[in-house]
Amino acid sequence: MIDRRDPTTPLWRAAVLLRVITLVFAAAIVATHQGEYDRTWLAWVVIGAMAAWTAASAAHYLRAGHGAPWFIALDVVFCTAVMASSRLVLTPEQLAGAVPLVPTVWVTAVVAFGAVRAGMLGGATCGLVISAVNFLVRERVDVDLTRDMVLLVGIGGVLGLAASTSRASAARLAAAERIEAAAAERERLARGIHDSVLQVLARVRKRGREVGGEAAELGELAGRQEVALRALVSAAPLESAGGSADLRGMVQVLATDRVQISVPGTPVVLPEETAAELSLLVREALVNVERHAGPAARAWVLLEDLGSEVVLSVRDDGVGMAPGRLAEASAQGRLGVARSIRGRVESLGGEVSLETGPGQGVEWELRVPR
Amino acid sequence: MISVMVVDDHPMWRDGVARDLAERGFDVCATAADAAAAVRVAATVRPDVVLMDLNLGPDSGADATREITAALPQTRVLVLSASGEHDDVLQAVKAGASGYLVKSASAVELEDAVRRTAAGDAVFTAGLAGLVLGEYRRMSTEPSPPRLTDRETEVLRLVAKGLTARQIADRLVLSHRTVENHVQSTLRKLQLHNRVELARYAIEHGLDEKP
Repeated sequence: MIDRRDPTTPLWRAAVLLRVITLVFAAAIVATHQGEYDRTWLAWVVIGAMAAWTAASAAHYLRAGHGAPWFIALDVVFCTAVMASSRLVLTPEQLAGAVPLVPTVWVTAVVAFGAVRAGMLGGATCGLVISAVNFLVRERVDVDLTRDMVLLVGIGGVLGLAASTSRASAARLAAAERIEAAAAERERLARGIHDSVLQVLARVRKRGREVGGEAAELGELAGRQEVALRALVSAAPLESAGGSADLRGMVQVLATDRVQISVPGTPVVLPEETAAELSLLVREALVNVERHAGPAARAWVLLEDLGSEVVLSVRDDGVGMAPGRLAEASAQGRLGVARSIRGRVESLGGEVSLETGPGQGVEWELRVPR
Repeated sequence: MISVMVVDDHPMWRDGVARDLAERGFDVCATAADAAAAVRVAATVRPDVVLMDLNLGPDSGADATREITAALPQTRVLVLSASGEHDDVLQAVKAGASGYLVKSASAVELEDAVRRTAAGDAVFTAGLAGLVLGEYRRMSTEPSPPRLTDRETEVLRLVAKGLTARQIADRLVLSHRTVENHVQSTLRKLQLHNRVELARYAIEHGLDEKP
């Protein structure tokens, strides 16, 4: 009946308990004023209706999913009717004086329900509606009634905040648990792969190279798989939490037998979009290396977290280009990439430097502030 | 002749590496398959270089590295791991390893790395340099962190970008030896800081007193 994953379940139970306790209180008040009312019989009928509604609403609020907004609206209408009925029960003198309305504090529970369902705004709104009905039934505004209003609206707000906070922290906890489970699974896989497949592939590559000929080619193929597999299993988890992500995992998967990735040992956490954009930029720079740096060129990516900024360096040992040949480079489409990378880093508030010379490869440095 | 001990729990790999090294003129004086055996055997044969795998079943190669370098100051540990360049590599280096090589390195690279390790140089991959840089930056928020000089940071960044010691020497107009010394010094400070931290931890928790 009760959903274990719903963090607001205890709050719903407490609000139902509040309604039961305040029902007993209301009945006791009516018993005290017995005979002084205009219509005592009607007072007891109202108490009876309140008891029936307490039972019916408890069944609704305690089931899985708890209070539906339409039901809470209905509840507010019921409370309004019960308060309004006091005009027929109480004498005009009682209404003008300090004798409580028939439901007394029984109506506060609906403020709690509204708050737990819809947060601060819901709680405060329910409090305002109940207070407004109170003013209308009494046909006056005074210090006592205003104090009740402040209490109702304030408590509604505070309870609403508590409910939304507990929902948010439960959601964060669940996300953290999911990431942890994924990381544990990955760890298990990685261990298995390290102990078996990677060892064999590394050995095949090494022996193949030494034996030469066709075996060297097989060894080379095995080596490529080894590097790719190692990058996959050792990359930091890609799952993100709360809109931020660890940039390390996103660049680590770019490792190949030609591309080495160096990252710090601790997570480099950035807003998810910034991290995704930066990893795309690195990817583009690497594609550029593949196209223009020459067939034997290798590349290195270094990720550094300086606290106030994140630095990504992409260096290759390819043919590079002479400063005077920018026009030609432009014609080859290299400058287009440079301009696009520059523009995108600048839109992240960062800056780009590009160093190159003939035979000296190309070195990019992207600096993006936190 | 440089004596080498090979520690790896994978028999095929261990024997292959031992054979390679023997063919290239090294004295492979011992092999071990787990951390406890590695510590025990190393104390007896006192090799010049220990080639240490980090995935030793339930044991950590980093702990074995710490014990070996503490007991045998003359012995240098070179980590040879299939593991990605990750935290366990950093732990081993902080524990006293003087370098790191991935298992996909060629026999020539391995030979070169073992010789340099025996000669007292630090063997860095680009990945290890990235980890060490990150570690110094992580520690910079601690109360009394070890610090790199600007030159050391500069050199380490170039190593992390894949430049060889010779290329770095050319670019910074330094001697090859000076570059090697800078690289070594980044490791030495890290290891020294780690030992001080361990000792402080032991004293604070009363672990230094014999029961």
